[in-house]
Amino acid sequence: MTMDTAQLKSQIQQYLVESGNYELISNELKARLLQEGWVDKVKDLTKSEMNINESTNFTQILSTVEPKALEMVSDSTRETVLKQIREFLEGIVDTQ
Amino acid sequence: MTEETITIDSISNGILNNLLTTLIQDIVARETTQQQLLKTRYPDLRSYYFYPNGSLDINGLQKQQESSQYIHCENCGRDVSANRLAAHLQRCLSRGARR
Repeated sequence: MTMDTAQLKSQIQQYLVESGNYELISNELKARLLQEGWVDKVKDLTKSEMNINESTNFTQILSTVEPKALEMVSDSTRETVLKQIREFLEGIVDTQ
Repeated sequence: MTEETITIDSISNGILNNLLTTLIQDIVARETTQQQLLKTRYPDLRSYYFYPNGSLDINGLQKQQESSQYIHCENCGRDVSANRLAAHLQRCLSRGARR
């Protein structure tokens, strides 16, 4: 099979969205992040970055907040959601 | 040409990363817009200082003991400690009213 990597990824993504699983995983992730206080921490981080840089420019603030926010996600949440995604993906591979 | 091996793990990580960056972008967009709105509405707005040990006030200045501040009483002409001012005024003014 000579399928392009990006093409395959977009097909998988499309399948996840169409099957409704993408929304399920997204909701689960949001709920977990809210529960562990990650959302509030990222809000505080954004506010402090805006104060430090004296800027409200979205691109500038995002470039400093994004890497720190990604690191702040707890291992347990990361693992749980990854496991859920993997299970869905394995289901697709089995049926095709 | 570089060949990238796709595994379920790499795709899972990619999807999780997409979800997380979307959430971050959403939060940052909301906060920056809110801040821009506040700045437009209140151009002189200054954020309050916050020191966890509580030694400085909201303006970032050293906190003063109320007892160290003296206020001049216009009624009797005495300097009264700030934390005693209310009690002083009650007595001082009622004494004046009785006269």
